[in-house]
Amino acid sequence: MSTPALELQGLTKRYGDFTALHSMDLSIRPGEIFALLGPNGAGKTTMIGSVCGLVKKTAGTIRVFGKDLDKDPVAPRYDIGLVPQEINFDPFFSVAESLRIQLGYYGRPRDDARIDEVLTALNLQGKKDAMTRALSGGMKRRLLIAKALVHKPRLVFLDEPTAGVDVELRRDLWTYVRKLAADGTTILLTTHYLEEAEELADRVGIINEGRLLMVEDKATLLRRFGERRVVVTFEHPQTALSEAGRRFAARLSEDGRTLTYVEREGCAPSGELLRALYAEGQPIADVETRRSRMEDVLIEVLRGRSQAA
Amino acid sequence: MNVLGMQTLFAKEVRRFMRVPGQTVLSPLISTTLYFIVFGYSISGRIQTVEGSPYLHFIVPGLVFLGIANNAFLNSSSSLFITKIQGTVVDLLVSPLGPGELMAGFIGGAMVRGLVVGGLTWAVAAVFTGFSLEHAWVAAYFLLLSSYVFSVLGMLAAVWAEKFEQINFFPTFVMLPLTFLGGVFYSVRELPSPWNAISLFNPMVYMVEGLRYGLLGRSIYPPLMGGAILAGVAVVATVVTYGVLRSGYKMKA
Repeated sequence: MSTPALELQGLTKRYGDFTALHSMDLSIRPGEIFALLGPNGAGKTTMIGSVCGLVKKTAGTIRVFGKDLDKDPVAPRYDIGLVPQEINFDPFFSVAESLRIQLGYYGRPRDDARIDEVLTALNLQGKKDAMTRALSGGMKRRLLIAKALVHKPRLVFLDEPTAGVDVELRRDLWTYVRKLAADGTTILLTTHYLEEAEELADRVGIINEGRLLMVEDKATLLRRFGERRVVVTFEHPQTALSEAGRRFAARLSEDGRTLTYVEREGCAPSGELLRALYAEGQPIADVETRRSRMEDVLIEVLRGRSQAA
Repeated sequence: MNVLGMQTLFAKEVRRFMRVPGQTVLSPLISTTLYFIVFGYSISGRIQTVEGSPYLHFIVPGLVFLGIANNAFLNSSSSLFITKIQGTVVDLLVSPLGPGELMAGFIGGAMVRGLVVGGLTWAVAAVFTGFSLEHAWVAAYFLLLSSYVFSVLGMLAAVWAEKFEQINFFPTFVMLPLTFLGGVFYSVRELPSPWNAISLFNPMVYMVEGLRYGLLGRSIYPPLMGGAILAGVAVVATVVTYGVLRSGYKMKA
């Protein structure tokens, strides 16, 4: 088995009496896109900060590509890139200068071809010589991403990289993230846009109140917690639930016009219900299906946690 | 060691202050030149010589020291503090720059600014008094080490400060009184008691006198004493700053 790109063992962070991270264990595989989801204040940024040197952990072990940060806090950072949540920029420098400086910090010589490549990928090529203070909010966000990637890190943290940006950047970034992952870069993403996690992630972790509640393959998670809701609209209102409806534990609306069936893992497929309804000879006007999304899964997991508490 | 990272930070620091030369070089140069003209010409009419030197000549080393100390301190303190306020400190903390590399980059940049302003002050003074360099190695020692010490102290202040008010605390309440009471414009021996005794505890006195020895060839205290005090302050400030940066104090959550 290959060395994990990131391995956390018992990672704990306390601020006085408040515990921001409760003994977190996590292993991220090389080359995967891992989405860490959770509400505000769940501990996502604290976890990333602990790995990236912005937060002093209270306890636990952090290994980046097998290197223990306690033993060598500097060398593993050559492999790390971080897109922080907050936009920052140095107003004294241009976009290209900022990227050259960033390359230098990581011990890499000036590489204009690499800078052009990153700027092109993030649609910032036209602003190469612009001063950073003259950029729009969205462009500053693009620059932030470019700075995190220009030194070709093997492990990239994207902490809400598309917060408050337009659809175009979001799509550009998704495309670039997929390309990076295809090239072997490991990506840990936090986002409030669950569509983003659903679109990009191989695996998903759900965190709340500093505790990692679940880590699962995205497909498994959606299957396990997800559901398909089938709404059948009849041509004529029904007076009572038919035999097929009762058998599938479907629900008839008060006006008798619609029948709703929720298909979860282990339930009978909705196609069987539809076949049974056709067999009963009910004239059907419309069938609508809606598959639950990451958002529903997150709510479901968090709700389960609060009920358990 | 990340040599390229250190060089990059140093070059960035120099470029940063050179982007606004009016503010970082010209403005302090004008202030120090005004000190020279106002104090020098107004007082030199009444005081012919101080400790064996013409008054105008006497104040040159102190003014050069003032330019170096203030600007070295201001450069490292403002630059690091602003990175904290702007959030660009994230770039430094995430990147593979250890405490040693961070110190070298910030201190190197601040020393260059301090020495540029100090050197220009010296050049302006030379127009009025003529050029004087009696002991080049002693002068070089005091010029370099005082710019180093105040750059380190500036960095330390920036790490500690959380508000703009705090970043101004050290230059206003510590450096300014100690410098003005440090024998820049007068000989501390001529102060009335108990101020002349109190002045003996002011390290700036020995730094100014050391530089005075290097430039004018005479001072009221042996330059070795000033040199030792300066070296002592440099070692303590370096060790403390390195330790503070290594611990992440006020830099990391």
